[in-house]
Amino acid sequence: MRYLMTTISTETTPAPDERLYAEMGAFIEEMTAKGILLATGGLEPGGVRVTSQGDEITVMDGPFTEAKEAVAGFALVEVRSKEEMIELARRFRKIVGDGVSEIRQVFGP
Amino acid sequence: MTDLHGAIDAVWKLESAKIIAGLTRLVRDVGLAEELAQDALVAAMEQWPASGVPDNPGAWLMTIARRRAVDHIRRAQRQERAHEQIAHDLRRDGHAGPQDEHGEYEEQDEQDEHDEQDDTLRLMFLSCHPVLPAQARVALTLKLLGGLSAAEIARAFLVTEQTIARRVAEAKRTLSEHRVRFELPGREHTAERLSSVLDVIYLIFNEGYAAASGDDLMRPGLCLEALRLGHMLAGLAPHEAEVHGLVALMEIQASRTAARTGPSGEPIRLHEQNRGRWDQLRIRRGFTAMLRAREAGGTPGPYVLQAAIAVCHAQARTAEDTDWARIATLYQALARLMPTPIVRLNQAVAVSMAQGPQAGLELVEALTADPSLRDYHLLPSVRGDMLLRLGRHDEARLEFQRAASLAANAAERAFLLRRVDEIAAEEPAGATLGQAVRDFLGRRDLDPQTLRSYGQTLRRLCRSLGEATPLARVTAEQVTRVVTAAWGRAAVKTWNRHLSALRSFSAWAGLEDLTAQLQRRPDTPATAEPIGPARLDLLWSRADLPLRERTLWRLLHESGAPVSAVLSLNVEDIDLDDRRARAGRTWVTWRSQTALLLPALIAGRTRGPLFLSDRRPGPARTPADGDLCPHTGRRRLSYERAEYLFKQATRHLDPSGNGYTLRRLKPRDVPPGELDDAVRA
Repeated sequence: MRYLMTTISTETTPAPDERLYAEMGAFIEEMTAKGILLATGGLEPGGVRVTSQGDEITVMDGPFTEAKEAVAGFALVEVRSKEEMIELARRFRKIVGDGVSEIRQVFGP
Repeated sequence: MTDLHGAIDAVWKLESAKIIAGLTRLVRDVGLAEELAQDALVAAMEQWPASGVPDNPGAWLMTIARRRAVDHIRRAQRQERAHEQIAHDLRRDGHAGPQDEHGEYEEQDEQDEHDEQDDTLRLMFLSCHPVLPAQARVALTLKLLGGLSAAEIARAFLVTEQTIARRVAEAKRTLSEHRVRFELPGREHTAERLSSVLDVIYLIFNEGYAAASGDDLMRPGLCLEALRLGHMLAGLAPHEAEVHGLVALMEIQASRTAARTGPSGEPIRLHEQNRGRWDQLRIRRGFTAMLRAREAGGTPGPYVLQAAIAVCHAQARTAEDTDWARIATLYQALARLMPTPIVRLNQAVAVSMAQGPQAGLELVEALTADPSLRDYHLLPSVRGDMLLRLGRHDEARLEFQRAASLAANAAERAFLLRRVDEIAAEEPAGATLGQAVRDFLGRRDLDPQTLRSYGQTLRRLCRSLGEATPLARVTAEQVTRVVTAAWGRAAVKTWNRHLSALRSFSAWAGLEDLTAQLQRRPDTPATAEPIGPARLDLLWSRADLPLRERTLWRLLHESGAPVSAVLSLNVEDIDLDDRRARAGRTWVTWRSQTALLLPALIAGRTRGPLFLSDRRPGPARTPADGDLCPHTGRRRLSYERAEYLFKQATRHLDPSGNGYTLRRLKPRDVPPGELDDAVRA
């Protein structure tokens, strides 16, 4: 089963440093080599919002002030079980420090 | 902590390969290593509910397990080598451990990590070792490297948990009996041993991808396990092109998972699949693996070639865009490396797409004589496809019908039957083969044994040619092909029996002789070469032989009389003084050794069977009066039982390991039958 894990930075989330880059790099490498991590990446803070209402479509540039906690990164992961996903998230959080990760199962493709 | 069990299981599945591999290096016994690892898991279940899941659960388990291993070695006080290992490990363990609050686990230097990787690779070679049967390799690999429980493996393979547990236990025993060492194969064996590992992984993948039996076409869990194992191996042996080839092959095949079955589970053929449902993420991972395989270089092996074929399909935007000429070339190369019937069948399909159905059909025809494909449903299915494209509709229809009757998977069978229905039926001319066979076997003028034997032959004919084939179309050529493929290597008697059945059927059905092109084989009478004197001496010298057996065997040897005659002897017929007894119309005579034993065997009995069974017959089985001993109520010893006991007793003497038959107790110099004549009254 596949899961999408999104990561949200909070006020206490530490700024990335050398150690974080090194540990995260090793972790991503290990998970990719095991065939677990399918895709991952960081996200720009702002972005563009496209909204449709009735026949009208509005396009708006970010950042969006109402979103205090923005999604900073994602990982698409293939695991055997939800428990395995949680275990991976646990390892990930140990590396990045304060913050929140959300896990949702992906249906499809 | 919610669902701690699930969490521990997840940790175990992620870490077990590494842990068991490390322990195996320490204790040199994979069975023991697994036990120690399981102990650590039990410790986790005891301690984690209170302490919470540790920061690095894998290292926690490893530390505990390694401690137990060291304890074990110390307790066993084994060889010096082990002591050195203890010293080394104690140094490595230091004082950190699970008992220390927030304890640090030993920091591993690069050398250790390298060792760890090699350990896991060694474990893979071990669990896929050629001394193990294929099924055992699969079970052991999933257990030790995938971290799956016996119950999980059993579910995936649709067998009982006990079956898997037994397979794993036997595999471990075999490994230790053969003293298989925990090591990487030497350079000259690497390719061979590696291909064994690759085959096991691909077997697991295929079991999931093309479930051989049962109603689900796929068991995706096994595909995922195989992919994981493949990636693990690719990480451990990054310079082996074939490993990357296998990963590429599996990724690309798995990319079609969603597209290859329809809403009701029926298979959808590659060229009819909705390519929009192919998983591009997997395809790209497949392409990446393929690039690594190319970087690793060397002559393309079977997995790289198969992956290259898969890449061709994946690159085609539509089925019509498929580069069949290239695929046919790749199959040609593959067929040179692996000339298996399945590869050649696929080659035929590729050729039919590249050069037209006639060219493909010619390749397929060459395969119809192959015994290994005789019950393989895809052969008639492929042949049906080609016939259909050639406009030979009624023949195509028959082939699909036959394919459906051979398919073990319910979804595939339904699919093939639908193809049958799609082809406009032409009226079959006259009776079908199936009907004729049923009528023939329904005859009342044959005894049941003959009918059973005929049934075997004719049912095989129906399976191979298709029940719906019009009887008038069955030719001697077809029958020759079927018979040669099915029984070409069978014993002479079997071969001749099938020929007789077919000849009888042809005559009955008013057909020309269907066996016209087949030759009866000369029947050499089964020879019963007497047992040599040296072996007999060994037999006689055994002290543990029961009196009855010793007497029977001596008597058979000294008299040279037929076994049934000797077993039919009665006490009242025995003439101890003249050393002879009447058996029907002949005499059985013996010499000194039997004469020494007989009085003790008779033991005062005056009549009834000389050789008695061990037990009284049950109430439901009352033997004829003449076969019952009036003194003991026991039955006459049966031929089957006597034969069985002799085979058991001589199993170690017989070089073939089967044990001898009683007939072989005849003395060397007396040709069978001659003695009977000489002593005839």
